[in-house]
Amino acid sequence: MERDEIKERVYKIITQVLKIDAEQVQEDQGFTTDLGAESVQSIELMAGFEEEFDIEMDEDDALAVQTVGGAIDFIGTYVD
Amino acid sequence: MAKTYELTDVEEPNLLEEQFDYSLPPKIKFVDPIYEEIDGELIKFDPQEALQRDLVITDTTFRDGQQARPPYTVEQQVKLFDMMAKLSGPNGVIRQTEFFLYTKNDRQALDDCRALGHTYPEVTSWIRADKGDFRLVKEAGVKETGMLTPSSDYHIFYKLKKNRRQAFNDYLEVVEAAWEAGIRPRCHLEDVTRADIEGYVMPFVSELVKRSEQVDPDLHVKIRLCDTMGFGVPSPGAALPRSIPKLIHRMVNDCGVPQDCLEWHGHNDFHKVHINGATAWLYGCNAVNTTLFGFGERTGNPPLEGAIIEYISLYGDLCGIEPMMIQEMADYMRSIGVDIAPNFPFVGRDFNTTRAGIHAGGLRSDERIYNIFDTTALFNRPPRVAITDKTGVDGVALWVNNFLELKGDEKLSKIKVHKIARWVTDQYEVHARMSAITDEELEEQVKTHLSEHYTVYLEKVSRKAS
Repeated sequence: MERDEIKERVYKIITQVLKIDAEQVQEDQGFTTDLGAESVQSIELMAGFEEEFDIEMDEDDALAVQTVGGAIDFIGTYVD
Repeated sequence: MAKTYELTDVEEPNLLEEQFDYSLPPKIKFVDPIYEEIDGELIKFDPQEALQRDLVITDTTFRDGQQARPPYTVEQQVKLFDMMAKLSGPNGVIRQTEFFLYTKNDRQALDDCRALGHTYPEVTSWIRADKGDFRLVKEAGVKETGMLTPSSDYHIFYKLKKNRRQAFNDYLEVVEAAWEAGIRPRCHLEDVTRADIEGYVMPFVSELVKRSEQVDPDLHVKIRLCDTMGFGVPSPGAALPRSIPKLIHRMVNDCGVPQDCLEWHGHNDFHKVHINGATAWLYGCNAVNTTLFGFGERTGNPPLEGAIIEYISLYGDLCGIEPMMIQEMADYMRSIGVDIAPNFPFVGRDFNTTRAGIHAGGLRSDERIYNIFDTTALFNRPPRVAITDKTGVDGVALWVNNFLELKGDEKLSKIKVHKIARWVTDQYEVHARMSAITDEELEEQVKTHLSEHYTVYLEKVSRKAS
């Protein structure tokens, strides 16, 4: 899967879970520091990504990902 | 200038298992003796020597423990006594328990308990310092009885309306009457931590020791040091009459009371009840008197189960004790309407329940991080998490895994429980809830959001039941 496609779908999940517009999301932003994701929302993001890409991520590794760009690359390792 | 300490980096964690063997309550390890200055002389107390003595627990659940509540029925006393014997084990760690003798109910309970045929706890009685009461003791066929011999001037002058000489002589007369009846007297020195130790207590105790030499060793008088108002202090350097180290030293070394004839009876008015009992053991007193869950007059007595855990911690061994009985006794007490505070150590509903999300996270990684010992193996009480707004997703995952009895790789990740975690969060953030989430509510959420796992769980429960 191309990175752009992953990015597009990751952005979709982020906007749904965090209830923000896609224009507010940038790759270098941190989920908690910049986008204001709270504890439960961080888990909901992980769950959303798993469902969207039909993958099962390692929880500890997934939660270690801090930024939007990091998530795109991390998910890329699964969909490849 | 402060010394510089080099970090010792290690490949594997050092869990200090010599003291924190998770399978037992953590061992209390002594590496040095204890020193106490008494009359300008440095006195050495050796904890290793203490462990060589026959340390025991005595019980007063049915005497002092009943003074604080409506009386137990005969059946309840027999049930508790039977469980106490199982808890105690074959070595008689709970060596004795005492009964009132004044009502028909009291005497029936004593007879029925004795009829169970347990070696331990031995049955003793409790009477006032009244010669006429020995008739009751003899009729009950009890070999040892406690008797009230108040020792402070508060009691002698204001309660008994006597002077010291009268009290001294009257008590000795009752002790002699016990011996004449072939009964071992146990003098309860009431209010000893507020008494004139040198002016009254030591002359009285010395006289008891002297007179004991004239009778059979099985009848030698026992001394119970009653910290009636909880004034006792465990700290080295404290003054008499409140200093437990000095008081015990006076009794053993200056009055010649054998250590196996010395007992500590405490009260919890200043939150020192357990440590005072444990201190008495270490400083030379062989017996610590307790009540189940600490129920006793006013603020209560040393909790029996606390002394049991202390005992195991001191010896680093179960010593024949059956710790699971502690939970069975707690369940039984609840079943007869006795309230046990949720945070009460070892038996309260929440004694190993965490509410903090960060603690729940720790428990999820390795329960040893936030559990005192293997409470599942010893008490059948796995560490739990109570779900509130502070518990977080970690807590929800821990609760769900415990509830579904999932272990190892079967455990569900936080990601898998996110819908339940969302429901919990919304309870507080959207619905402004103020109370903890109940187990029943969470079970309903599991049923809704993890239906496949819930079905497997029900099948498991059903298999166990059948």
